Amino acid sequence: MLLRGFIVCLVCCALPWSVMAATDIEISSPGEQSIPLALTWLLPTQGTQSAKVAAEFNEVLDADLDLSGLFRFVSQAAFLDDAKHIGLYSTQVNFPQWRMLGAETLIKGTYSLDGEKLVVEARLFDVVNRRLLTGRRYVGERKDVRRMAHAFADLVLKELTGEEGPFSARIAYISNQSGDKELWLMDVDGKRPLRLTNHRSIVLNPDFSPRGKEILFTSYRANNPDLYRKEIYSGKEAKISYKQGLNVAGRMAPNEREIALTLSKDGNPEIYLIGTSGRVRKRVTNSWGIDSDPSWSPDGSQLAFISNRQGNPHVFITDIFSGKTERLTRRGKYNATPAWSPKGDRIAFTRQEGGRFDIYTVNTDGSDERRLSFGPGNSEHPRWSPDGRFIIYSSDKAGNRAIYVMRADGTGARRLTNAKSDSRHPAWSPRW
Amino acid sequence: MSVAPLRQFNTFHSDPKFGRLLLVSLIAHGLIWVAFSIDLFGTNTRPKPPIYYVDLIHKPVLNPQAGRPDPRPAKKPKAATVKRTVQTAAPTVTKKPTKPAVKPLVKPAKVVKPKPVPKPTTKIDQRKEQKVQSALDEIRERQARQAERDALKDKLAKLRDSAGAATVAADVPVGMPDGTGDEAGIAVVAFVQAFIQQNWALSRYLIDQSRIANIEAKATLVYSAAGKLIRYRINTPSGNQQFDDSLKKAIIKSQQLPQPLPKILELNVTFNLKEMAGRN
Repeated sequence: MLLRGFIVCLVCCALPWSVMAATDIEISSPGEQSIPLALTWLLPTQGTQSAKVAAEFNEVLDADLDLSGLFRFVSQAAFLDDAKHIGLYSTQVNFPQWRMLGAETLIKGTYSLDGEKLVVEARLFDVVNRRLLTGRRYVGERKDVRRMAHAFADLVLKELTGEEGPFSARIAYISNQSGDKELWLMDVDGKRPLRLTNHRSIVLNPDFSPRGKEILFTSYRANNPDLYRKEIYSGKEAKISYKQGLNVAGRMAPNEREIALTLSKDGNPEIYLIGTSGRVRKRVTNSWGIDSDPSWSPDGSQLAFISNRQGNPHVFITDIFSGKTERLTRRGKYNATPAWSPKGDRIAFTRQEGGRFDIYTVNTDGSDERRLSFGPGNSEHPRWSPDGRFIIYSSDKAGNRAIYVMRADGTGARRLTNAKSDSRHPAWSPRW
Repeated sequence: MSVAPLRQFNTFHSDPKFGRLLLVSLIAHGLIWVAFSIDLFGTNTRPKPPIYYVDLIHKPVLNPQAGRPDPRPAKKPKAATVKRTVQTAAPTVTKKPTKPAVKPLVKPAKVVKPKPVPKPTTKIDQRKEQKVQSALDEIRERQARQAERDALKDKLAKLRDSAGAATVAADVPVGMPDGTGDEAGIAVVAFVQAFIQQNWALSRYLIDQSRIANIEAKATLVYSAAGKLIRYRINTPSGNQQFDDSLKKAIIKSQQLPQPLPKILELNVTFNLKEMAGRN
């Protein structure tokens, strides 16, 4: 009898659950393909109020985060009263208000300006889960506000993607602003340009050492294209390779012990490895064709380079140790300036088609080739950002050649240098 | 009142199994009462099932007229579509089709002299050229969009025709795929699916492009009849923290549906980025 009762009880309990059968559904793309972000202006806490500080911080942060392509900014015109409340603790933030505006993430901050001393405190909140994600307090001078904003943009990307942004780095490039082609350095948004050389000659092909303390470049200062090395902080400069003929396209190995470059000391341009003192250690290529533009793989075991050994110039990959060389590109009549991505999965290069140069990327096995730049003008000299999210390049689509940046998928292109002067050969520094 | 039934009750009461039976009965009744009180079976108090509206343009259903009780036969003749296509496709061709070229060379009509094109005075300004180029691109794009719209319109017209009197059924309620004929809108599951998707925000730059086609997570969501999320569980996480976090946020944002449901609803949701990968 007890058993019967138990069965009846079981049936009574199971009945509703059997009626409620689960339905399978599939959602194969998000409704919104960006993170809704509310970016508020910095609010003054004490000392002098400076709308310029808040405006500059907001402008830089907005530009950096916009370039990342991750966010959709909630219109500042829609902000309610919490945008004017100083509270930076999660208990002080009115999350329902931000959620009502559709924001998933929120950036709030304060600043205090005492004379020239500036303290900025910025925080990133998760609106949905009502918690603080990250925050940082920056202490510096009034002129450092742009650097603070770049640093916070890096922090935001690190928190949301797991990988730090590249906005605190710098970009080296060649420009004729001063009349001659000299080496310049600027922020990743094109601001604060700084001239590094005064060779009054032709400087070209800069590249940063993997730790970012030095820059390699070629200069015609001694009427021969020689390879130079320059310490960024001290300004010390040394000629490393000055063999007869070409000493160009120097690229330091990831271990900083060797430099790959093109030498034509024996007549035909070939790729060599030299020590940091300039002594030749190894000849990497040996063919009748012209071999140039080496680019290291992130692990330092391979080099991508350009060669016309099979006819037209194409991208090849060679193993440093075994010497095994494979052709990577098969299309186009003229391929040039390969650049290996920091993640090691893709190689960016330039290809001439229809009389115009454009930027392409391809997997290291030659598959999935994609054209990234379109429109008028020539786009050349692609180089990766240290996180592989962006590509910088030079283009003359607006008249004079200028430096541009775009996302690694070719979207979001924007000009960094003005079109008054001629700027080319950009190189993105490692994170500092 | 006779005494016999009372006696019978007393003897029955003295039976030792009576207590157990009573206990079992009490538990069973209690469970049923609990099930109804937490709205496990849904309420039957509403006179009519609720109406779910979704954006049918973005979320078309497979067969929106499935529940319609009595579709009327097609009234529209096919000529209407033909007329439209002729009008849109080649309006200039229809001009004076009756007169064949009887006097083709007598009066060749006035040849409109092309206006003299102003010669480029000096050097072409590159900016101007770019402006013209961009304007041309814009015009081309607009034309392409227009052509696309026309094609869609034609397609819709054809669909309307093939569906018979679907558009003229003012007196017949519009059905839904699994409806009975007196509901408007689409299925409840599709409605909830669209709501969750709408709340799911994820940037393609958060996911490694090589993984985008394979990334997948599975979750179970249970909604009460009031449209409230009772519980959820991520059964199979994707392994990508950003992806999984975005799902959790989407679920939290979808914890209250804008409409009640006809009954309790359990969903096994598979989240992936197949559409995104397709566009990649």
